[in-house]
Amino acid sequence: MTIEKTRNQKLTFNEVFQTVDEIQNLRNIGISAHIDSGKTTLTERILYYTKRIFAIHEVKGKDGVGATMDSMELEKERGITITSATTHCEWKGHKINIIDTPGHVDFTIEVERALRVMDGAVLILCSVGGVQSQSITVDRQMKRYQVPRIAFINKCDRSGADPYKVVDQLRQKLNHNAILMQIPIGLESKHSGVVDLVSMKALYFEGPNGDEIRVDEIPDTIIDEALARREEMLDAASMFSDDLMESIFEENVTSDLIYKAVREGTISRQLTPVFLGSAYKNIGVQAVLDGVNRYLPSPMDVKNVALDIDRDETEISLEIDPDKPVVALAFKLEVTPYGQLTYLRVYQGSISKGNDIIITRTGKKIKVGRLVRMHADQMEDLTSARAGDIVALFGVECYSGDTFTSGGMNYSMSSMFVPEPVISLSITPEDNKSQNNMSKALNRFIREDPTFKSYVDKESGETIISGMGELHLEVYVERMKREFNAEVATGIPQVAYREAITKHADFDYIHKKQTGGSGQFGRVAGFMEPSEEAAYEFVNKIKGGVIPTEYVPSVDKGFQSCLKKGLTLGFPVAGMKITVNDGKSHSVDSSELAFTQAAIGAFKQAYMRAKPVILEPVMKVSVEGPSEFQGNIMGSINQRRGLITSTTEDGNFTTIDAEVPLAEMFGYATVLRSLTQGRAEFTMEFQKYSKVPESLSEELKSNLRKKSKGEKKS
Amino acid sequence: MKDFISVSPLRILEKSSHQRLGPGNLGVLVARAGVGKTACLIHIAFDKIFRQEKLVHISLEEGPEKVASYYNVIYYDLLKALNIEDDYEYRILMEKNRMTLAYLNQSFDLERLEANLKNLTERLDFKPETLIVDGLDFEKAEREVFEGLKKIALEFETEIWFSALSHRHITETNERGIPYPCDKFDDLFTIIIQLQPEQAGIFLKLLKDNDRYQIPENSIKLDPNTFLALS
Repeated sequence: MTIEKTRNQKLTFNEVFQTVDEIQNLRNIGISAHIDSGKTTLTERILYYTKRIFAIHEVKGKDGVGATMDSMELEKERGITITSATTHCEWKGHKINIIDTPGHVDFTIEVERALRVMDGAVLILCSVGGVQSQSITVDRQMKRYQVPRIAFINKCDRSGADPYKVVDQLRQKLNHNAILMQIPIGLESKHSGVVDLVSMKALYFEGPNGDEIRVDEIPDTIIDEALARREEMLDAASMFSDDLMESIFEENVTSDLIYKAVREGTISRQLTPVFLGSAYKNIGVQAVLDGVNRYLPSPMDVKNVALDIDRDETEISLEIDPDKPVVALAFKLEVTPYGQLTYLRVYQGSISKGNDIIITRTGKKIKVGRLVRMHADQMEDLTSARAGDIVALFGVECYSGDTFTSGGMNYSMSSMFVPEPVISLSITPEDNKSQNNMSKALNRFIREDPTFKSYVDKESGETIISGMGELHLEVYVERMKREFNAEVATGIPQVAYREAITKHADFDYIHKKQTGGSGQFGRVAGFMEPSEEAAYEFVNKIKGGVIPTEYVPSVDKGFQSCLKKGLTLGFPVAGMKITVNDGKSHSVDSSELAFTQAAIGAFKQAYMRAKPVILEPVMKVSVEGPSEFQGNIMGSINQRRGLITSTTEDGNFTTIDAEVPLAEMFGYATVLRSLTQGRAEFTMEFQKYSKVPESLSEELKSNLRKKSKGEKKS
Repeated sequence: MKDFISVSPLRILEKSSHQRLGPGNLGVLVARAGVGKTACLIHIAFDKIFRQEKLVHISLEEGPEKVASYYNVIYYDLLKALNIEDDYEYRILMEKNRMTLAYLNQSFDLERLEANLKNLTERLDFKPETLIVDGLDFEKAEREVFEGLKKIALEFETEIWFSALSHRHITETNERGIPYPCDKFDDLFTIIIQLQPEQAGIFLKLLKDNDRYQIPENSIKLDPNTFLALS
């Protein structure tokens, strides 16, 4: 395998990435932001300046080639990035693995996966739009995975650009200790470069693609601003370095002292250095790469832990040591014409071609065949990969989220947060050929995306797919057509309702059957109550062995089987705690089956007395638009049974945050467009399950009754 | 939440002539930095919310997420202090009766507030009985701002509570005993309360009640940890 150092020179992989010291020069970064902030455009420039590609293609560009990271046909057509493609590059002696991530909230699992395996991230913000709702969502995810970040305020060449306002928003809306490392030279159409507040020099990006950086003196018109902003930056950075603080007093501040202090603050996630520019106009991108090298952590700076399944999931610290046993995480799967491609982050040890590794979940041993490094949809073969690196394996049958080890230990990387699907859709293949292809496609998508689920509804015989939003499912239906040649008709989207009890209710049920031969006997007594802690909890408080220990799992199993279909409207039951504290067995007639049946009987006996209600998924919705449309937006949310929790005015824009039932959100994009002349946008994500109002509950009951009557007639 | 209302800092108003601020009127809580103005304002908010009244919290410095987190922290402190269990009903009360309007980057002006309140009333049928305004700079604000807010209070039939930041080194008061920075517009405020840390504890002092100044027996003592009224 080779890595291009420059256009003419080549280095072998081992030459570039040989010693532990060199891991310090490795960066695994994600690039995340609000949709249309320019993630793909920035990545394209990064690849160009690091000489991974030799021409720049724009998203939706006139040349029809599309940006390099948008390799899926659908992405190129829509101008959005759907799956995160990994790529790598080299910048000033540092190797950088980049995961380009989608911006739309419906594809959030992709963002979450990227963050799970990244050591640092670049948060891109639009200098006009500022910190938008999706940036808040992404930032929350970054906090969850403790990812240090630097920020890049893009589109400073756009009309209305105000990077200073965006820095204030970073502080106010995201609570970042954001500090400007640069100030802009000109804004909007006059944006021509940036002032580096560390070297106190003006940087201009010249040549046809901004490759040539001209370093000059700071223009007189902005020197005062630059001095004031440098002082702010030094004040913030000095909090992380006594040496820097001392040098400020002694007036002998060096660039290295600043770099060290800012790095310290960034890695501890107490500081966010902010860079500026315009990726589209090729301004400021190289400085972002310098920032990645200087301030984001190497794999050695990040603490990673695995869970030891054999020791009650005790956390085990992993070491960046190639001689230690292997621990690696499969964080993404992709189908290619040559088989399944599994993206892997190696956390400990090293993996070489021909090695045996074991999947913790199944205990299955697999041989490492082809090991590759991905560059969007192209690949380079490797002979080995070591701790800290991100690579891909060919031909390994596994699921996304699987942990690989070299055996002799039962470690699992901490599980990734996977939200439950909130929307479902029936799909019907249009012909026999499509039927086969649809099965293949579903099988593939389920492995790739844990938030996408598929099953056959026993009653209707229909295939149901479920996921995180309308667009999420729409994209999979589209992919079925394009990649698998499966033409399917879709039904009306259905909301995933749940049932939950609201009161405590006792049960005491005897299952007794005597039909000749050995009979069945089991008595189960106790109570059910609502639980906020878990979807289902089983508490065993049986004393004196009145239910023999070997039958207790059958009791649990009996209750669990009832949760799949509540007795009110047949929706799955959530949030129930069952406590069993009494019972009775018979030396001859008791069996596992008898106690399972007794539990089912007990459930039926108590359920309706526990006052079940219907729950519906409620989404956290954030709508952003010009302030003049605030009333219209509020009205549209109110009509949808939404509860507005806040509105934020910022400049001429207003953001309205609300909780709205998912059932009311279908087609909202169209309504919002017409209410606001297409100038507002919204994002939503699952927030909670809430009780359905009585009137709607009645409507649901009557609809279900009608449906079941219709089915019986036919 | 009757337990809370009995120890709410708004018990100070028992010492006022009408026992409340009332629609169309302005009230202010004045204190030095770090004494607990925002916490006290949020207690006033809880007092209203738990009386099933609608409230708008207007934040001029923080975004809505931070405001919500202040409320949550104080809510859980309250539960602990009053030794009562968290209840779904209380949280529903908070969700339904509270609305946050945040104005970031100097985007606050009277016209905008009026338009926003109109939208709340007309589009959502959310008619607030109380507005809480946190973060208004009394030192820089012109008299016209308070006159405008008084008009809004009258127009929307709501009472408005403010917090004002005083300074340790500015000790002068006007001839009616009202401290800086409220001394220039005390005529526009119906109720003026000072939050004062003293050696014996934290006290709320009623400095102005309608047309009355220099009110005798004008203070109540607060628990320094919870800001709840001590009997």
